[in-house]
Amino acid sequence: MQGGAWLPIAFEVVLLVGALAVLLVAVVAGRDRRFWGPAAGLAFAGAALAGVLQWREVSTSGAGLFFTAQGVSFAKSPMVVMDGLSAFGAIVLGLVGFVGFLAAWDLVAKVGRRGPELVSLLLLSLAGLHMMMATPNLVVIFLGLETASISFYVVAGFLRRQKGSAESSFKYFLLGSLASALFLYGVALTFAATGSLTLYGGNSIRDFFSSTIVTQPGILLAGMALMLVGIAFKVSAAPFHQWAPDVYQGAPTGAVGFMAATVKIAGFAALARIFGAGLVSQVDTWTPIVAVLAAVSMVVGTVLALVQSDVKRMLAYSGVAHAGYILTAMTAGVAGVPAMWFYVSTYAFMVVGGFAVLSTVSGSDSSKVPLDDLKGLVKRSPEMGWLMTFVVLGMSGMPFFAGFVAKVFSFVTATAVPAPWPANDHGYLWLVVLGVVMSVVGLAFYFRIIGTMFSTPDDQAELQEAGLPVRFAVIVSAVITVAFGIVPWPLIEAVRDAFPI
Amino acid sequence: MTDFLWLLVALPLAGAALNLILGKRIGEPRSGWFGFGLIAISFVIGFGASLGFFAGTSNPQTIYLFSWIPAVGADAAILWDPLSALLTMIVTGVGALIHLYSIGYMHGDDRYPRFFAFLNLFIASMMILVLASNFAVMFVGWELVGLSSYLLISFWFTKPEAAAAGKKAFVVNRIGDWGFLVALMLIFMTFGTFDFRTIFENAPAMFGVGAGTITAITLLLFVGAAGKSAQIPLYVWLPDAMEGPTPVSALIHAATMVTAGVFMMARSAVLFELAPVSAGVVAVVGTLTALLAAVIAVAQTDIKRVLAYSTISQLGYMVLGIGVGAYAAGVFHLTTHAMFKALLFLGAGSVIHALANQQDMRKMGALRKAMPITFITMAAAWLAISGMFPFSGFWSKDEVLAAAFARGGAWLILYVIGLGVALITAFYMTRLFAMTFLGSSRWDEGVTPHESPRTMTVPLVVLGLGTVFLGLFNTPARHAFEHFLEPAFSGVEQVEGLSIGLISTLAVVAVIVAIVGIIIGLRRYNTEVLPDETGAFWRRALAAFGVDDLYGRFLVAPGKAVADWWASVVDPKVVDGAVHGIAKGAIGGGERARAVQSGQVRWYAAVVAIGAVALVVFLLVLGGGF
Repeated sequence: MQGGAWLPIAFEVVLLVGALAVLLVAVVAGRDRRFWGPAAGLAFAGAALAGVLQWREVSTSGAGLFFTAQGVSFAKSPMVVMDGLSAFGAIVLGLVGFVGFLAAWDLVAKVGRRGPELVSLLLLSLAGLHMMMATPNLVVIFLGLETASISFYVVAGFLRRQKGSAESSFKYFLLGSLASALFLYGVALTFAATGSLTLYGGNSIRDFFSSTIVTQPGILLAGMALMLVGIAFKVSAAPFHQWAPDVYQGAPTGAVGFMAATVKIAGFAALARIFGAGLVSQVDTWTPIVAVLAAVSMVVGTVLALVQSDVKRMLAYSGVAHAGYILTAMTAGVAGVPAMWFYVSTYAFMVVGGFAVLSTVSGSDSSKVPLDDLKGLVKRSPEMGWLMTFVVLGMSGMPFFAGFVAKVFSFVTATAVPAPWPANDHGYLWLVVLGVVMSVVGLAFYFRIIGTMFSTPDDQAELQEAGLPVRFAVIVSAVITVAFGIVPWPLIEAVRDAFPI
Repeated sequence: MTDFLWLLVALPLAGAALNLILGKRIGEPRSGWFGFGLIAISFVIGFGASLGFFAGTSNPQTIYLFSWIPAVGADAAILWDPLSALLTMIVTGVGALIHLYSIGYMHGDDRYPRFFAFLNLFIASMMILVLASNFAVMFVGWELVGLSSYLLISFWFTKPEAAAAGKKAFVVNRIGDWGFLVALMLIFMTFGTFDFRTIFENAPAMFGVGAGTITAITLLLFVGAAGKSAQIPLYVWLPDAMEGPTPVSALIHAATMVTAGVFMMARSAVLFELAPVSAGVVAVVGTLTALLAAVIAVAQTDIKRVLAYSTISQLGYMVLGIGVGAYAAGVFHLTTHAMFKALLFLGAGSVIHALANQQDMRKMGALRKAMPITFITMAAAWLAISGMFPFSGFWSKDEVLAAAFARGGAWLILYVIGLGVALITAFYMTRLFAMTFLGSSRWDEGVTPHESPRTMTVPLVVLGLGTVFLGLFNTPARHAFEHFLEPAFSGVEQVEGLSIGLISTLAVVAVIVAIVGIIIGLRRYNTEVLPDETGAFWRRALAAFGVDDLYGRFLVAPGKAVADWWASVVDPKVVDGAVHGIAKGAIGGGERARAVQSGQVRWYAAVVAIGAVALVVFLLVLGGGF
């Protein structure tokens, strides 16, 4: 194998080394961000590069399972998988992480001496998130989930002197722990029902289903449901979303984009891995419930976003709705993976870009971002105003923006495969109709944001210029939002190969 | 020439972008001339590319631009056939004149360049809609038209009425868009593609006449058309949209946006042929819209509102044309209406301009001398819309009515109502004309009307010539227009022609009706003192029979109430309030702050737990775990 045995775990290795390097450089050379910043940037870029190498390897030599533990009886199973899903996920996570890191650059300046800690936490979390999608082992998925979650709890409360930040961190921690516990319980029940913790490879859950007819599925079903709860919590699908607005609002604005975008990427990839690939034989059982989650998310996210007055809360609820649209794609089972990838990878950039703009408007260490902060943004800073307009139009699903293609792709996917419940050939048509209606309703608050930005500012004060990295992050996000809206085809081609084995 | 058709979209789009970004630097008159120039070039390109259709030497063709979403048959491609060629010429031709007119009309506005940016954007959106080769791209144009019209109607957004009107237009149109969207989904599920040609070629083979699927699709398409083309019950946005600048009213109400629905239905003619029930619904709704709007127009006092309701009424005629299967006649009326209605609006704008923004006709009168060019051109438009021989409106309206007559049977009722509407139309247009230009002057003190500048009168004259002569292209003796459109409606059976004798009889009846309406109008309003119009009918008609109020009470208010209820009951903040209240009662005021914090998290955790239990139960039931 080209690139040696390290390639399957190269993404994690690069990030972990990067995290250590940042801390070491800060100790040895000094805490000025000019010293350790490049190391962090290199680590993010290197991680994306590792993803690209994995992608090439997968497309030339095919996918594979690695790091099989020998000698342990029940764990005689692979720990790492490298396939289209994990490689594509690595690329997206690496790029979004890099852009998100740039967007957090002003925040890094604000926290001063504690900058290296913040950035190394971001690096660590990214490694954990990729672990969630690059392993066939349910316990390793849980480990990845916890690695990322604990990093994020700390990041959310990084400005501990601010009441909002500390409170949001604590809330996130309590509720996140509950969700993790439920997920772990689900893993345990699944193990109890199938005798395996591995999705594929030797003695796996897939093997179990191919050789066994389950007559008493109760324990298995409960396990599936609880694992789904854990993932739904992470991707902030309703009714497991309540933490999101509070945490988004309380956490430092500069880092919210990074947190919100990357966790969604990993969460949906893990969903595709566990349910799409691992529990593929149970597809008729779990897609209806995913459809219900999707429906509730779309309605709750959209309706509650309408009544918010804080932009961060608004974007949080919009994220709930978007989780619903992405879940809509996954109702097609594993066939929904391309649409899921298209949606989540473009949406992730919109989230990072959107919060980056908010951090330049209200300050990267702010908690609350009332809608009035955006008033007249186009006048005060035409660059930020217009870029934000593009990003918000992308989120709203306007034609010629990536969000539109993503929605169409998702909706078409959901109606392409016959649905088991209610049984019919047109898939989840009711869900798609609901999704279209909700998209229309959602326009109201997206246009409210845009309208506010185009209104006359109260004071003509020019916006304080954001740092170059942050501006770069916003530009990249807006360009991606527009580019994949007009020419979506290259990305659509790519995600066609981003399947789990 | 067809190689350059992509410029039809690109040029206005470039104009919009440049005016938006560099408008301030380009400066006041130049940004207007720049926008006008681009649209004029577009018109030349469109005209040049249409020559083949005039000569009858070209066939419809699809010009591929680039791949957009090939999986659903949605390429960025141009379907260039007589129908799209015609609409292109109307949109860019009338559009160019309106740009020219706006150069003078918008003089001195703070956001002058932005206005032209929006106008250009509107034209670009219309061109996307018109040139689309599939439903998906058409929908893109459709939505962009909605967006740009919203921007234009609420251009003077500091006026609360204008902002509200823009919002209303947007919301009402969304209802229509919803119908269109669902129709698109049904189409995709049925045909597996959005491509026009594939759909229209396969539909007749796949379905018999009256098939349920097609009926559903066409009815939903009509919901979409009713939103854009202001038909019952979605017409309410159009009168309010008069709050926008007058050139916008002309652009949106005459040439473009409102005709989008008619165009879309004409484009889908093959489908409507397969669904007689839908066609019947379309015809009836069109006729009733024509009638209702005409009656309301009779009592309006604001000159632009009269024209708004008259637009709705005329759109009813076009929709009737589609419904009776006379697609060419409907499109023909669309064409002539684009001319004379644009002229009426621009003329009204000229009058309003001259009287220092006076829109109330009761304060006009005797403008004949002061504004000769406006007077003459408006007179042509007045006679045209009244259906006077040989002006353009006569030929096209007659064509629609004759088609309804030719169907016979119950369709005759529609014919009779249509004829009645023609009488009312002649009456209220005469009322408008007489109150504005004839009789005694009732101007406000200190107002001295004057003829408008050259940039405003030139478009009036050009449109006036069109209004007078355009109808002669398509007389019963020489159906040039229908032959021109024929390639666009191949595979669609047109209504059988009537004998020349019968046609002449119908024409004579129509002219008599028009003359009667005009005479009644002149006798009543060409006087020194205006007749008293405060009776019960006049008051009710002036208030548009309270339809808006009705919508407000039965649709908007409950909707608001539901939204408020949702917001107040579901919004966590308020839920917290409840939890807070309970906690306060239980623990006491001293620990209030702590109770709020822990209560919130506890509540969230409870919801997570409840949700998890629900999920488990749901899966167990579904998977047979019990």
